[in-house]
Amino acid sequence: MNPEASYPSGLPQTLRAPAMTVGTVTPGSLDDQVLRFPAQAPPRKWYLALAFTSLVACIGMGFIGYTFYTGIGAWGNNSPVFWAFDIINFVFWVGIGHAGTLISAILFVFRKRWRNAIARFAEAMTIFAVMCAGLFPLIHVGRPWLAFWLAPYPNQRGLWTNFRSPLLWDVFAVSTYFSVSLMFWYLGLLPDLASLRDRTAPGIRKTLYTILSLGWRGAASHWQHYEKAYLLLAGLATGLVLSVHSVVSFDFATSIVPGWHMTIFPPYFVVGAIFAGFAMVVMVLIVVRESMDLQNLITDFHLEVMNKVILGMSCLMGYAYVVEAFTAWYSMNPILHHTFLNYISGTYGWAGWLTMGCNVAIPQLLWFRHCRRSYFWMILVALGVTVGMWFERFVIIVVSLHQDYLPSAWHNYRPTLVDYGILLGSFGIFFSLVLLFARVLPVIATTELKAILPGAQPGHGAHHE
Amino acid sequence: MSETFAVLGLFDSADALMEAIPKVRAKALGRVEAYTPYPVHGLDEALGLRRSPLGGMVLVMGVLGVLTALLFQWWMSAVDYPLVTGGKDPSSWQAFVPIMFEIMVLFATFTAGLGMLLLLNRLPHWGHPVLQSQAIRGITRDRFALAVEADGAFDPASARSALADAGALEIEVLPVPAAGPMFTASFIQRSLAGIAAACVVSGSLLYWAIKLMPVLPPMVHMENQPKLDPQESSTFFKDGHGMQLPVAGTVARGFLPFAMTTPEQSAGLVNPLPRTPAVLARGRAQYQVHCAVCHGVLGDGVPTLTAAYGAKPANLHTPAIRAYSDGTLYGTIVLGKNAMPSYAADMAVDDRWAVVHYVRALQRALNAKDEDVR
Amino acid sequence: MSASRTRKVLWSFTALGGAGVAASYFVAGAPRFWANWTVWFLYLFTLALGALFLVALEHLVSARWSVPLRRIPERVASLLLPLVAVGIVALGALPVLYPGAKPEAASDPVLAGKAFWLGVPFFSVRVLFCLALGLLPLWILIRGSLRQDRDRDPRFTIRARRFAPLCMAIFALLVTVAAFDWIGGLDPGWYSDVIGVYLFAGAFLAGLAATTLAVLSLKGQGRLQGIRFDHLYNLGGFLFGFTVFWAYIAFAQYMLMWYANLPEEVVWYQAHLGGLWLGVALLLALLHFFVPFFALVPRDAKGDMKRLRWVALVVLAAHWLDLYWLIFPALGQRPLFSWPELAFALFFVGGALLWLRGAMETGEDMPVGDPFLEEGLEFRL
Repeated sequence: MNPEASYPSGLPQTLRAPAMTVGTVTPGSLDDQVLRFPAQAPPRKWYLALAFTSLVACIGMGFIGYTFYTGIGAWGNNSPVFWAFDIINFVFWVGIGHAGTLISAILFVFRKRWRNAIARFAEAMTIFAVMCAGLFPLIHVGRPWLAFWLAPYPNQRGLWTNFRSPLLWDVFAVSTYFSVSLMFWYLGLLPDLASLRDRTAPGIRKTLYTILSLGWRGAASHWQHYEKAYLLLAGLATGLVLSVHSVVSFDFATSIVPGWHMTIFPPYFVVGAIFAGFAMVVMVLIVVRESMDLQNLITDFHLEVMNKVILGMSCLMGYAYVVEAFTAWYSMNPILHHTFLNYISGTYGWAGWLTMGCNVAIPQLLWFRHCRRSYFWMILVALGVTVGMWFERFVIIVVSLHQDYLPSAWHNYRPTLVDYGILLGSFGIFFSLVLLFARVLPVIATTELKAILPGAQPGHGAHHE
Repeated sequence: MSETFAVLGLFDSADALMEAIPKVRAKALGRVEAYTPYPVHGLDEALGLRRSPLGGMVLVMGVLGVLTALLFQWWMSAVDYPLVTGGKDPSSWQAFVPIMFEIMVLFATFTAGLGMLLLLNRLPHWGHPVLQSQAIRGITRDRFALAVEADGAFDPASARSALADAGALEIEVLPVPAAGPMFTASFIQRSLAGIAAACVVSGSLLYWAIKLMPVLPPMVHMENQPKLDPQESSTFFKDGHGMQLPVAGTVARGFLPFAMTTPEQSAGLVNPLPRTPAVLARGRAQYQVHCAVCHGVLGDGVPTLTAAYGAKPANLHTPAIRAYSDGTLYGTIVLGKNAMPSYAADMAVDDRWAVVHYVRALQRALNAKDEDVR
Repeated sequence: MSASRTRKVLWSFTALGGAGVAASYFVAGAPRFWANWTVWFLYLFTLALGALFLVALEHLVSARWSVPLRRIPERVASLLLPLVAVGIVALGALPVLYPGAKPEAASDPVLAGKAFWLGVPFFSVRVLFCLALGLLPLWILIRGSLRQDRDRDPRFTIRARRFAPLCMAIFALLVTVAAFDWIGGLDPGWYSDVIGVYLFAGAFLAGLAATTLAVLSLKGQGRLQGIRFDHLYNLGGFLFGFTVFWAYIAFAQYMLMWYANLPEEVVWYQAHLGGLWLGVALLLALLHFFVPFFALVPRDAKGDMKRLRWVALVVLAAHWLDLYWLIFPALGQRPLFSWPELAFALFFVGGALLWLRGAMETGEDMPVGDPFLEEGLEFRL
């Protein structure tokens, strides 16, 4: 069973079993290491960080309030490029959310045990990212206080919603994604909340944990149904990862705007989402790992594997770019040719090059083992990917819209201060929520990690797959 | 001494637990339950647990979700208020598929989550004796517990010895909780009162919010729009009125100015409309509205007015008027003649010419020759 | 049935099929002959590529559970060798079925700009290049794997992991080019950039199904004793997941083209969903999605040998139906299916089975030299 036994001279280093945990980790020590954070007061730098992100978030909220008060004209909306930043931000944040679901759901379905240490955090990031994403469709309608009109309820207007519109499919897809992610995350938290309940001295916090943990007691009969539910939810969430961003891509692909109506958009958007999300997860995880001293649980192996995924997704993005460019040429459609030339030249050609550089070129650094293990290079690549993926949506939306079929309608796009403010504010909201989560709830799924420690399961001494 | 709920034995590894289970079950002292900090492989089979029905439940609800989504979308789009959007048939199923998939996932998810919690695990349940025990601290941390639960005739002592023989490190006896039944009268009263209070408060808040919100900015901005409504004042115009007369020389559609000053001058105008049944019908309708009051339904100058009117309307069948050209008739309508006022404002150009056609038809009808009838 | 009797039966089927194939050229006409040949070439090519993808994927993600199984898809991928000959013959379809390859294309207003791409010379060069390039991963991954049986050198595992990304890239290129050329080329005014992904989904499913069938067949002979429910469950899980993936891609392409209703795109669907072809399309949806999906939904079903066997057969049949539905509308409005199609089936299935029977004797049934074989055999869900 131990591969080293077949090789008395020792396995080459690269083939040795990966270190999913470093040093001795027992269930007890795991609890003590991870669950102490909700109990103790946060350090000063946490407060500073939260103050900063909250300030940014408030600035963003201020701009949103201004938009509500004045109207969408505050975004400099001008034909033919409407709402550009809003849609870009929406797609960007929904995309970021997908990495969390992939890590927690898809990797669970594939039984990749290494996901256990990072799944909880990734799922939390998904929920916060989807919350940020949901903000944008809400604020971009002219009268956000009437946003409930998007729901198909019987009303005295005698109207139903238009089910043929991909914008409505979005409403259903994103709200389903949020509900399912929340349910999945909460169910995963249940046993950890029970652990917190039993560690905490009587008081308000213990009462809160008692209520939230629903009286979980770790009964075998309960675990049986729980595990089944978790597996089913993981499978369902897997389907959602594919479908939600595909529905978002349908917003574009169902139209006939040149450059938008490409049938590869659904899988291309999903790959892009996973790509951008993993980059964000890597960046946040590095901060968590360092600031909470979790290097023995979130190991080099985890970071390396995530970087490999980023690299793989970068190659798939390159494939998509090549196939799109080829198909655009193959179509012999002069308008499509014009649009694709605009991606690399013209007013926004710089954005096209930035996108390809950040998404395809820079991540190729991750072929080098040193870069996969060095914080500097990892963060550089991850930042590049984040910027590149934001600009990819910028390129898709602005380049295609600012010059489409009718030359008399061509017009450049210029974002306003309000646009920038809201974009920045969304980052503030996201990171504030992440900071709060890190101190209030366990950042690592201790229960899941306990289940894969050495000696955890009967009859086996080593890790599973 | 209160009744025993269960006797708990604690172990410190999953292996120890798994070894103990067959030994304890063999003694058949009561229902055997295990408590672990994480799911342990093989525990279900060792305890003889039946398979979880959750998979089947989720499949059924998932299929139900698909059908529900299909049904409501189809009914709303194709039956209740069919609208053609994007040139697509209202019942186009292709557009329904994305939402069908999402609703399927939603139904399945809530079945899995809530079904597992509420139905199968009967959680939330904060009153279970294990939660009050000493052992629970270890159970959610790193200890594995085997519980022999009392059912029927139960001897705690033999349960203790069975667990000790099986290798338990600590043994704890759990009493049945002393607390009385949950649903006392006072509990029910307090719950109902709380619910009622919550309803009143939230109802009032909602009522006032819905009344108040539309008059708050920015919701109210659509109420006072910069556009000019009738009777509104305006700072744009010198006289401060929003409503102004049209600029001099404004011509309404269908009401082009008439160059001639007498009907005779217009004698040369030619009727531009063809003599079709539709035009004649239009002419008849207009004639009966505007002309018949004075000139009579048959155009014979027998009005429906009372004799007190005074003036005598013309009989359109006199040889003189029958000799008028179409243009002269038209000019008469536009300019008026004697006591007849101008009807230019009442009838658009096309309507006037249609009336001319109709008058001609009347004239021919009331002065028909034998050939006309044959 | 004894081994030699099976071999005799297979040879006679193949010979009978071969006779029918030859006859169909003269009796049923050249277009129909070439359509069948193209369908079967693509079928086996994508099946072999799918198996190759499975092998490369296992190396790429350093999967351990699949190590005991890995020899099977390696053997299935060896079909790429005889397929070189089949592919070269398939070049004969170009002037017959592919409008872009005909001389008139140079003067057609839409096709003129890409006539050099669609024309016979460059098309043939691409085909030959792809057929040759497909042999490179075969050489790196599979030849090395067979050698590792003998010399037990772990350095092959390292080398395979290092080359896996390149093999993946080659796979992506081959599948995309095959899709655009062989499938898209039938209607050169039409374009869809997802057909590469679509063909990949079908290819992977076919490779998986062929692997599953081979594994079950060998188990039936008493070989592959270490493969348990846990391993089969994973195979079934992949079949299930990629069935959903195929349906997702197929629907996405259809729905997008339906929605935008652009003339240059919709004509393809009008040809493929018009008249009796709608029935074929519905049958395809049934066999390629609904049947395997509902058959594999229950957890136990995913690892159950009997269920997996017939689901794998259905998936293989569905992949053929997929290619038939993609290619045969070029022949006309009525779906043609009679003795020529059956003859081709006999010939190619018989030939492929003969080849695979030989392949199943190459090397050991499990990669005995792989350092992770033990761990793979110990794998538990």
